[in-house]
Amino acid sequence: MTWGRDSFSILPLAVALLLGSTGTSLIAQELATSARETAPAAQDDQGLAVNTTDAQRACDGCPPRRIGTALLQTTGINVVYGLANLARGQVTGRITPKTWWANMQQGWVWDLDDFAVNQIGHPYQGSNYFNAGRANGLSFYESAAVTAFGSATWEFFGETNHASLNDFINTTLGGITLGEMLHRTGWLIRNTQATGKRRLWSEVGATALDPITGLNRFASGDAARISEKPSDLVPSSLSGVASAGVLWRGSQSRAFTATGDPFLEVDAYYGDANVGRSRTPYDAFWIRMRFGGGSPFSEARVRGRLYGQPIGGGPLQFSVIQTYNYNTNDAYSTGSQAIDAGLGTTLALSSRTNFWILGWGGLTVLGAVDSLPLGVNEEPEDETESSAGQGVSEGPRFYDYGPGSDFGTLARLTHDGREVVLFFYVGRQIYSLDGVRANHFLQQTRADLLLPLHGPLGVGASAEYFHRRSYYQDADRTIKTYHYPQVRVYLTWGNR
Amino acid sequence: MRRFWIAVIVWLIPTAAPAQDASRLWIVAGGASGTLRGHCQECEEDFPFRHGGALVGNAGYRVNSRLDVGADLFWMQWRNDSGRIRATAIDAVAQFRPWEPKGFFVKGGAGMAFVRNWVHTLGPHPDDSKALAVVIGAGWEFKPRGHLGLQLFGMQHVGALGDLQTVNGPVADVAANFWSLGGAIVIR
Repeated sequence: MTWGRDSFSILPLAVALLLGSTGTSLIAQELATSARETAPAAQDDQGLAVNTTDAQRACDGCPPRRIGTALLQTTGINVVYGLANLARGQVTGRITPKTWWANMQQGWVWDLDDFAVNQIGHPYQGSNYFNAGRANGLSFYESAAVTAFGSATWEFFGETNHASLNDFINTTLGGITLGEMLHRTGWLIRNTQATGKRRLWSEVGATALDPITGLNRFASGDAARISEKPSDLVPSSLSGVASAGVLWRGSQSRAFTATGDPFLEVDAYYGDANVGRSRTPYDAFWIRMRFGGGSPFSEARVRGRLYGQPIGGGPLQFSVIQTYNYNTNDAYSTGSQAIDAGLGTTLALSSRTNFWILGWGGLTVLGAVDSLPLGVNEEPEDETESSAGQGVSEGPRFYDYGPGSDFGTLARLTHDGREVVLFFYVGRQIYSLDGVRANHFLQQTRADLLLPLHGPLGVGASAEYFHRRSYYQDADRTIKTYHYPQVRVYLTWGNR
Repeated sequence: MRRFWIAVIVWLIPTAAPAQDASRLWIVAGGASGTLRGHCQECEEDFPFRHGGALVGNAGYRVNSRLDVGADLFWMQWRNDSGRIRATAIDAVAQFRPWEPKGFFVKGGAGMAFVRNWVHTLGPHPDDSKALAVVIGAGWEFKPRGHLGLQLFGMQHVGALGDLQTVNGPVADVAANFWSLGGAIVIR
């Protein structure tokens, strides 16, 4: 099958159907008009870049600015998620105007859903809202407002459940963090100068990461139009490394286990967070994701720079950073949304060796941490059959929510541009407002040593230490502590 | 009478000079009619709505013609079966006008709420507690490009308290929702 620009004109209808009932005809009309306007210009260019910049586009490769469409698509995303809940048999999907009114009368409450649903699922859903804004030419902060709109309307009108305060915060703040990270990563994959199958696959790959932007580009014809990438979506530098190996966990009472757990970890550095005056959010961010090592998905961190300013013309750099955090290990399971202030610098130790260090501290707007009631040592197995449907939890919930603080440091020693030593420490305090009243103090320390083998291939070893101390607010002021070490060896591919 | 004063203010506003680019100040001060309802995770009973007057205010920075950021203050006092309660929410907020220069705006933010709770059976001293606060809202601002404007708004504040002291003892996992409708003077 030949994939050509003409085929784009049928895509608006598909997108309109996907986006659901509310306002789809308007969206279809707008997208179809946009596709008709764009396609002839693209056909005329014979593969060469043309100036199709119009009043609605901030640059040649930027999407047209359409605030109304962004809000309609956000509503459409809610309709799609609602239909998916109905298809899975969830009672929460059976919404009516009565449930809307009941939710508005009740106001915000804490919900009882599963940890992964609230800490991964909701932020991902929020990233869709965010990218409905970005895909329609809105700025980062405008898209943040769209995310809050999508999240609030979902909570009040998308489910029969009462509006959940923790979902609203996680969807909005997590959605902004994951949304901008996925949007920018999608633009890394997208090759806007290519044509034919190469172009198609680059657009499909980007759509897999950022479906809302991808669908909008296919619908409007931008997915086939030759253009420059928007300059603010091109990073100043890019590096990453994938690690695969085995880790051994210890415990409070014994040495390391004899059998290790396999893991795969990915680190990526987009831009350089330690240099430059920056007013472009997420022009520098860091991602870490780990699969395996004790649980299927054990770690996700995204730290995006919102603001950067050199101090006094020297090497010191001040940054404001937004953080998404998800971490499950034997000592604790936690997920949080935070805003930090950071201070960093890069020192040239020799012509080939650099030392990079960043320290930060800030507020955790909302954090989740696993917690059992005092006197209970193990989470009881849920033997009751839920009548609410798949994915809907009716409690009890064995993790708690609250605000808090976080602080940490990341240091890297590089030689010839390759990382040889990495040190990472993070401390996190969460005061549970909902659940078992306690102050939880969670710490993780990790040191890595890496050696190059051949080309991008290397070998590494790391030592880690996890520590948790929970100060309960009961009459006895109970304190519980859990800590354990962890070591790992691994092969690396790539360059940090 | 209230309608008269609103009409007078709206009539006066067109004479205000447009905001100068040099001015980045954003100040809002006004009042609202508030409705409150408490809720707790494990409670079976249905809590009543309570009503009262509220004060609202913003102070901050005009980032551009569409966006203002700053602090949001919301103060409300009411009585329940236990006695008098006063809540003060201070949030970091952003206010956004998507269709600028039209006056429609949305607002959102998060911060802390401080609750003073005079439980009459416990004595004269109030029980103080802090809460996680979140605010969302929307409204319409008349003359958003002038130095002086007027806005009408609807807002929802929530304060997640943790524990609330009552005459029957502490209640755990309390969240209080505040709905408010009001008006305010805007200075830029």
